[in-house]
Amino acid sequence: MLAYKNEAERSYSSEKLYGTSIAPMSRRTSSTAIMSRPRPRTGQDETFLIERLKAGDQDAFETIFNLYSPKLYGVAQRILGEVADTEEVIQDVFWTVYRKAKMFRGHSQFSTWLYRLTVNAALGKIRRSKKNREVEYEEFLPKFQNDGHHSVRPVVDWSDTLDEQYAKQEIQQLLANALNQLKPIDKSVVVLSDLEGMSDKEIAATLSLTVSAVKTRLHRARLFLRGKLAVQLGHSAV
Amino acid sequence: MTKREATAKALTNKSCRQMTDLVFDYLNDKLTPSVKRDFEQHLSICPDCVSFLKTYKRTVTTTRSIQAERLPPKVRENILAFLRKRIRRIGAYLTFLATYFTA
Repeated sequence: MLAYKNEAERSYSSEKLYGTSIAPMSRRTSSTAIMSRPRPRTGQDETFLIERLKAGDQDAFETIFNLYSPKLYGVAQRILGEVADTEEVIQDVFWTVYRKAKMFRGHSQFSTWLYRLTVNAALGKIRRSKKNREVEYEEFLPKFQNDGHHSVRPVVDWSDTLDEQYAKQEIQQLLANALNQLKPIDKSVVVLSDLEGMSDKEIAATLSLTVSAVKTRLHRARLFLRGKLAVQLGHSAV
Repeated sequence: MTKREATAKALTNKSCRQMTDLVFDYLNDKLTPSVKRDFEQHLSICPDCVSFLKTYKRTVTTTRSIQAERLPPKVRENILAFLRKRIRRIGAYLTFLATYFTA
């Protein structure tokens, strides 16, 4: 769907033309995301910890638990939307980590393996509970006339009025409700990307998707969330 | 082709539908310079796409600002206590098996 940047061609300054509000945004880069994630001081420390964990060392296990549980709890909670279920999922994840540490072969980063276990456990929990309240995306996606123009015109710019109409916490609640209506896999992509700051490649590795599938799901989920916010503010979603 | 005709052609190179598909990569600064130029030229004549882009971008920034629940210390202790108990139990079981098979 998308064209990619040819580094050889000259860059084009959008900020000069349109100001910062619609200019490309700096996505939280992979390196920033990695820095924000819990890590032992060096890669060597982590390798040593993992080896001890594989040997059944309980201290190593607890060090890993202390390092990663806050972050994984946040991820699971945002995918599940329920605090009670989250505790159970984190319990299961770390029990699996203890029992199956030997299965970690180091083909991916250890953190990626932990994120994968967490997301899979959360998705499994949602599947079993059948609590997922999915809605049809179509209703909230942009629509176009045959000539390619937006079907409802003018498209209202509510980006600045959002803060006037709602307190920050209310906006977050609106969006959290909309997030809970996403398909669980799409919600996982949004959580890992926009909330955890992972790169598309890292998300693809964590969720066993292709990078292109990650991008498509993320874009569609964002369109849906935008539509939900627009409707909430009294405008057309399309 | 006159300069004016060329400009007019460039402006119609993208439809609003195509613009919507390109928003994702535009915001990640992943468009080729020529596509980016077309994209921004379309923006300069289409207030609907400017509004769309601003609201899409606002959705992303708002999503990013959502705070996760913190792991409450009590819950953390509960989980750890549960895991320690399980590890002890499996340890005792393995010791039992070792004793049983070596006896």
